[in-house]
Amino acid sequence: MTPAAPWLSHERELAAALAGEGYFADEGLCTAVHLALRLGRPLLLEGEPGVGKTEVAAVLSRVTGLDLIRLQCFEGLDSGQALYEWDYPKQLLQVRVAESRGEDVGDLYREEFLLRRPLLRAVRAERGSVLLIDEIDRADSEFEAFLLEFLGDFQITIPELGTVRAGTPPIVVLTSNRTRELHDALKRRCLYHWIAFPEPDRERAILRAAIPGLEERAADGLVRAVQRVRRLPLLKRPGIAESVEWARGAMALAEGGSPWPVALRRALGLLIKDEEDTRLLLAHAGELFDDA
Amino acid sequence: MVRDPVVLAADHLWGFLTALRGAGLPAAPAKRADLLRVIAESPPPDLTTLYWYARITLLQDVGDLPAFDRVFDGWFRQGGPGPADPPPEGDDGGAPSPGGPGEDDPPPHEARPGDGIEASTLSTYGTREFGRTGERRRALMRTLEAAWPAVLPATPSRRRRPARSGDRLDVRHALRCAHRHDGEIIELRRLARPPRPRRLLILVDVSGSLRQHTPDLLRVAHTALRAAPARTEVFCFGTRLTRITAALSRPHADRALRAVSGLVTDADGGTAIGAVLERFLGNPRFAALARGALVIVLSDGLERGDCAPMVRATARLSRLGHRLVWWSPLACSPTYRPVTRAMAAQLPSLDHLGGVRDLPTALAEVRRLPAVLSGPRHTAARRWSTPRPMGSTR
Repeated sequence: MTPAAPWLSHERELAAALAGEGYFADEGLCTAVHLALRLGRPLLLEGEPGVGKTEVAAVLSRVTGLDLIRLQCFEGLDSGQALYEWDYPKQLLQVRVAESRGEDVGDLYREEFLLRRPLLRAVRAERGSVLLIDEIDRADSEFEAFLLEFLGDFQITIPELGTVRAGTPPIVVLTSNRTRELHDALKRRCLYHWIAFPEPDRERAILRAAIPGLEERAADGLVRAVQRVRRLPLLKRPGIAESVEWARGAMALAEGGSPWPVALRRALGLLIKDEEDTRLLLAHAGELFDDA
Repeated sequence: MVRDPVVLAADHLWGFLTALRGAGLPAAPAKRADLLRVIAESPPPDLTTLYWYARITLLQDVGDLPAFDRVFDGWFRQGGPGPADPPPEGDDGGAPSPGGPGEDDPPPHEARPGDGIEASTLSTYGTREFGRTGERRRALMRTLEAAWPAVLPATPSRRRRPARSGDRLDVRHALRCAHRHDGEIIELRRLARPPRPRRLLILVDVSGSLRQHTPDLLRVAHTALRAAPARTEVFCFGTRLTRITAALSRPHADRALRAVSGLVTDADGGTAIGAVLERFLGNPRFAALARGALVIVLSDGLERGDCAPMVRATARLSRLGHRLVWWSPLACSPTYRPVTRAMAAQLPSLDHLGGVRDLPTALAEVRRLPAVLSGPRHTAARRWSTPRPMGSTR
């Protein structure tokens, strides 16, 4: 398969393109995206909440200029909501119209009576698309079976119409928070990458790109503090999204006149969103924020 | 004779793939083909790139990462079992052993009979009679049996069925009827997704430390099996794992218990919870029973030696299941705290840790299940970490 933009198949340029859109990917993730584009395979991303799994798809869509089609998974999601459905009201109307005109009803299972749900839309996108299947672990495990045909061959079989195959295969990104284990059959069809929390250097780069006014020294201290916080036995460790929010909040408070360390502590609610975790954090506040 | 370096490289790569299988990480042919295709199309300039190529195409789960890294390091970085680069001449291409990647030694055996107070790994081959079920117990069991159906979790069925009121019109059916009545739609049918009960998986510990509770714990499992026969699976374990669903299915409790005692050869012996759970999860057919199910483990969680396998297995069981509930006879005591190493380490994987030692406590816990099922996951650690209000039972 040829990737949507041939230049994207060079790894270094891919990293630069992602960084240009404000996404700082490490080597592993770059290789993963590169391989997904080159091999035309779906990419399964796992990682703790807030490490930027979903964002990968959004950035890819901006970089490639392809439409982003998103399927948010939830318990009870079925094929009618993910693949396709027949537009029965329209079919019924068609029957009535034909009847009133005294015509033959004709074939009721035609393209025009088909409702395209995200997966079918992705198959039908002529230029290709970026398809994000978000939080697949939230869907019931039976739902994964509906995905197998699609992920293996980028095709969907509609009994009344036949098999619909993608002209240009979509770029597929699946994300999972690992709240449950996915079927082997699904994983076998995907490339797999675990996104870890970023190293300090990368997190600093992310913070500085996300918040233009942030001073280098402040960013330094912030990153150090966040990295230490992640080492505590928290119920929910803060992701990148939280540390960016925290920095933003502290900046706003600092502009309002609070000294920086005080601002950091007062904005803590943006980093930690659990009562118990906050208590644990405050107990360790001295060692965490002394040089922030 | 000098061999073609390309052939050597291919052999080496093949050896690596074989070693992965030896380390318990078999890669599907399609995945291996992916790796080879990538290497052929854009040869990796350095080892790091090769590592990422291999990891992204072959790895399927982050939990396998340490094993994968060990094999990779062994074959491509210095100091491993793989042949040196380039391999010595005359190497017959036979795959070297994957090099026993840090297999943990089994905990030391101690020849001491299980005394029922502390868990031992000593395996005894004991069968046992579980005694008769008295009238009081029988009444309690009837109550339990009636209590189960209401608390078992359900999930909307994938298959819509005709229903009196449903979220969707059965237009397909309506169209078919319309054909019969010259295109006239006379009545509308509706479709609904009827609730389908989730599977219930019960794992009963029959080791010596639970000796006095075992018959009642099995009776609890029996009532569940009677209440939802098609959706319940029961296993029991000591040092071995035994599927007792069929034996326990007999309607008469005493006969069922007698059938079980004939099957179970490790009753009242030692425990190896970690090893047993790993064996359970290692069998794909068994693991599939846990998928999306309500998993209830009846055990005191006393593990001897290294508790890491048990903690790992519990975490996996928790990820597979819908909810993971742990009922321990020890937790009935008001002074109980989950502080043993194994219990403390696995607490974050549990959705609920409750006390069950006999039928009345089981009834209380069964009635507590709806709250566990409707709440958020993995809250056992939180509930046990806050001080207990006076007079409350969990």
